[in-house]
Amino acid sequence: MDSFIQIENFSKISPYASLFWQGMLVTVMLSLFTVAIGFILALILSAMRMSRFYPLAFLGLDKEGHQREKGIGVTIGKFNPLDFLATAYVEILRSTPVIVQVAIIYYGVFGALIELPSFTFMGFIKFERFFPGVVALGMNSGAYLCEIMRSGIQSIDGGQTEAARSLGMSQFQNMKYIILPQAIKNILPAIANEFVVIIKESAITYTIGVQDIMSAVNAVRGATFIIIEPLLVATAIYFCLCFPTSKVIAYFERRMSRGDKR
Amino acid sequence: METRDKLIQVTDLEKHYNFGKIKALDGVSIDIDKGDVMVVIGPSGSGKSTFLRSLNLLEEPTGGAILFDDVDITKKKYKDENGKWVKVDIDLHRQKMGMVFQHFNLFPHKTIMQNMILAPVKVKHVPEEEAKKKALELLDRVGLKDRADAYPIQLSGGQKQRIAIVRALMMEPEVMLFDEPTSALDPEMVGEVLDVMKQLAKEGMTMVVVTHEMGFAREVGNRVLFMADGKLLEHGTPEEIFDHPKHPRLQEFLSKVL
Repeated sequence: MDSFIQIENFSKISPYASLFWQGMLVTVMLSLFTVAIGFILALILSAMRMSRFYPLAFLGLDKEGHQREKGIGVTIGKFNPLDFLATAYVEILRSTPVIVQVAIIYYGVFGALIELPSFTFMGFIKFERFFPGVVALGMNSGAYLCEIMRSGIQSIDGGQTEAARSLGMSQFQNMKYIILPQAIKNILPAIANEFVVIIKESAITYTIGVQDIMSAVNAVRGATFIIIEPLLVATAIYFCLCFPTSKVIAYFERRMSRGDKR
Repeated sequence: METRDKLIQVTDLEKHYNFGKIKALDGVSIDIDKGDVMVVIGPSGSGKSTFLRSLNLLEEPTGGAILFDDVDITKKKYKDENGKWVKVDIDLHRQKMGMVFQHFNLFPHKTIMQNMILAPVKVKHVPEEEAKKKALELLDRVGLKDRADAYPIQLSGGQKQRIAIVRALMMEPEVMLFDEPTSALDPEMVGEVLDVMKQLAKEGMTMVVVTHEMGFAREVGNRVLFMADGKLLEHGTPEEIFDHPKHPRLQEFLSKVL
């Protein structure tokens, strides 16, 4: 029986090497922009989720300015609209498939509501497809990164906050000097993992015509009727992107944790 | 009596959970004067820690008042003499109340020196050099000058707690609150921490101490409070409390611990 991989097929698809090269660049660009958007979004979302913004808190105070104990006013006073919005956002994006989100953003938001200028940049990246892909992936990873950040911050012992606040530090100073430095160390592995996930997940954007690695595979298959070998090339490229990324971050993680374990 | 200089006035302090079904604090009233070393004793669950933590609002009381520097800090805002609403800045009041915790709560990612100078430099804007000089003086006093560049993880429990005490002193507080400072320590380290506290008391620092160390209460305290079920059942001098207890709950408690 023949091996399912045929060496000569690799030489048959070699004329399409530039397609793979361009696909890889698109994937890298896609991931970088996604990470940037996701990270900023996650910062905003986690800040919203942990905010103490109670615009209706006055309903829970009595005439002298004391916090009352019970009553409908107290319940309404505890409503935090920022937390509610961020939580709703995170839960909706985490509970629906990325492929659906990408399609909705591309066909729905940018297909019907907002018209994007049609041009190519870096020679071969089509903006009107690339941009919705980045937005959709960024929105998705923002939801996941938000949860990572929030759990990282909440994993720090409450005694740390109590100590900082008892020394007169404000909640902001407590976050900046005490909680975040410790939390970032804890969540670095999870964030690194999320970055690697984004590189792999970006493959989904080929469904809206972004010319990444997966779309190069399809193009080659269409032209040559060779299936397995292009896929293997794509596999190798994804591996070469993801594996070093996780290793580099693992290195920084070790360097950061050196501080307090001497 | 009139010469007493009241620092903190607590009136009818209440902390209720579940709409008043659980009363962690049930109407506690006491005045804390300048220079007092007030020791709070009582069985576990009696509300003594809650009482202490309410004083700097780590626990938010659900009723009553705490007057500190003539401001009721349990309120979110108050009317000043011109009738204007002013927000109570709890951070400002907390700077004047040092707190020492059962589990030390040193910042593990910072050295001892950084632990000590962080709040003075960032909150009170003391110049860093000045803060460092002061920190070394304080470390010298508790015999830990050579550990300034160590991380908390490298220290023993007793050393950590001594650092926690001087870290709070760096803010030059008017009163020091101790929440069971020796309860998490190995027995052989209790003495070194109590010694630092005794020294502080001798220097005239106002202190409120929640502790199970009856020896310390008797020797160092000038007033002892006995709490049970969220109520302040008896208070007086150490002699009154330990030698002539009146309340049956106190008599029962003392017969168990002494």
